[in-house]
Amino acid sequence: MNAIPQLFFDAMSLGGIYAMAALGIALIFGVMKLVNFAHGEYIAFCVFALIVPSTDAVAVMFIGKAPAIVLIPILLLVGAAVAVASEFFVFRHMRRATPVAMMISSFALGFVIQNTLLLVYGSRPKAISLWPELNKPVSIIGASIPLLQIIVILTTLIVVVALALLLKKTRIGLEMRAAAENFTMARLLGVRANVVITGAFALSGALAAAVALIMVTQTGVADVRMGGQIMLVAFIATVIGGLGSLPGAVAAGFLIGAASVILQGFLPLEARPFRDAFLYTLVIVVLLLRPDGLFTSNSTKPRV
Amino acid sequence: MSKLGVYDVAVRYGKIPALEDVSFTVSEGERLFISGPNGAGKSSLLKAICGAAPTSHGRIEVDGDVLNGRSPEAIARLGLTMVPEGRDIFGTLTVEENLRVGTGIRRDKSAIETDIEEVYENFPMLADRRHANAGALSGGQQQMLAIGRGLMTNPKLMLVDEPSLGLAPNIVDQVYQTLVNLQKDRGLTLIIVEQSSARAARVGGRMLLLRGGNVVGDGDSVKFAESDLLKEAYFGQDTPEGPS
Ligand SMILES: Nc1ncnc2c1ncn2[C@@H]1O[C@H](COP(=O)(O)OP(=O)(O)OP(=O)(O)O)[C@@H](O)[C@H]1O
Ligand SMILES: [Mg+2]
Repeated sequence: MNAIPQLFFDAMSLGGIYAMAALGIALIFGVMKLVNFAHGEYIAFCVFALIVPSTDAVAVMFIGKAPAIVLIPILLLVGAAVAVASEFFVFRHMRRATPVAMMISSFALGFVIQNTLLLVYGSRPKAISLWPELNKPVSIIGASIPLLQIIVILTTLIVVVALALLLKKTRIGLEMRAAAENFTMARLLGVRANVVITGAFALSGALAAAVALIMVTQTGVADVRMGGQIMLVAFIATVIGGLGSLPGAVAAGFLIGAASVILQGFLPLEARPFRDAFLYTLVIVVLLLRPDGLFTSNSTKPRV
Repeated sequence: MSKLGVYDVAVRYGKIPALEDVSFTVSEGERLFISGPNGAGKSSLLKAICGAAPTSHGRIEVDGDVLNGRSPEAIARLGLTMVPEGRDIFGTLTVEENLRVGTGIRRDKSAIETDIEEVYENFPMLADRRHANAGALSGGQQQMLAIGRGLMTNPKLMLVDEPSLGLAPNIVDQVYQTLVNLQKDRGLTLIIVEQSSARAARVGGRMLLLRGGNVVGDGDSVKFAESDLLKEAYFGQDTPEGPS
């Protein structure tokens, strides 16, 4: 009897995480036509930044010790910093490279980050208890919902609204939108390529940090490989949403989250282990019907 | 201010040469038409000046500042603006947002609002659509927006690539009238690519004729229109002499 609201909150919170991860990818794709496969590793990096570097099995809190009001901004900055640094040291030197070459470099960068984490933190997943009280259930319209789910949904809403305002109302937002549509023309009008691209990476990294916080609170685990799965789903969401379309990325993130929860809830028991196979079949069907994505944008022209 | 010098400039796309060896100067407040057949290198020349295409040889200067090797955004800061072939309007932005993209480089922030109103006065059609997406404008309106957008950078030198392309003759008249007035009001230096020598002669000014990536003529647009030079540039084999 309370299964429906339960499903709804599951779908919305999972979709919210996917939407935020997809936004991080779509933002960078928008301005430089780069599918940044290192994005998942930004997420993992942020998770590990919470604990003291060591290969010990037991995690000792580092940034994670700070109260939320300090911890959250610091981690967002860490995420922004790692993304901006990767732009500065890797992608900036590839501005004239083909999108495929850049994409492959992003894979390489992802491996570098992942292996650095392996070296410093060891390969075994570690238990982290961040804000455990958020996993306590609260009761809403007859369903018992973990507080975290509500926070995730609200966070996603806030992020989406804040990002929309930033893009619509600020100078850098205007420049990012112009650059996403026609980078050369924007530069001819004095828009600094480096500022716009650095801005996009900073935002993308901060989004990765937000996803990291949510994932670690939800799962209680820090795992070097934790970025891979969400990166895959987020990438699919950006493709379904129409590469480069921010509203599309958000909508598709929610759609995949919802589809995933609904399949989990309604598939016959024997079929549930194969949920992802059903999910990706749906994805294939969508892409067969709408190869340019559900929410096509016109900014997928070649870059610069 | 705004003396442009182009010296021995070559541009190539991979192995394809677009400009071979082009030299000319333009003085402040001058109006220069650039004409020539398709593929002559007119657009490539403008792109080289504004930094959108790299030069493989030669030097471009504005008031003694060498432009070669600078980024387009740095060149825009020196007071050059480009209204490209095909307009390159930001279709997902509103008309007014298009006008504001280039204002980031201005130091006289207080004049931005009055300048926007001035663009709307010059192009009343844009005023009615100021909050509409620019992608929904007609070709003529987009051309006006592209010119207005360039003006909003408060330029000293404006490069306009084929403003008449695809527009009805009366709209072309209107666009040229506005360009000429703006030049008078602001002391703009104007370089305009225009295929129609008759049009260039009617508006008046100097004309540079390009063919095969080289300058094949330089003189008064009225004299050009009367001479056989144009015909030769478009159809002839020989490199013609100057117009008079
Ligand atoms: N992006 C490019 N890549 C390769 N070749 C190019 C490119 N742009 C121009 N060219 C070549 O350079 C030469 C000059 O082209 P350009 O566009 O400058 O001519 P144009 O005089 O402006 O012609 P039109 O009147 O058709 O606009 C042409 O041979 C053209 O094919
Ligand atoms: Mg041209």
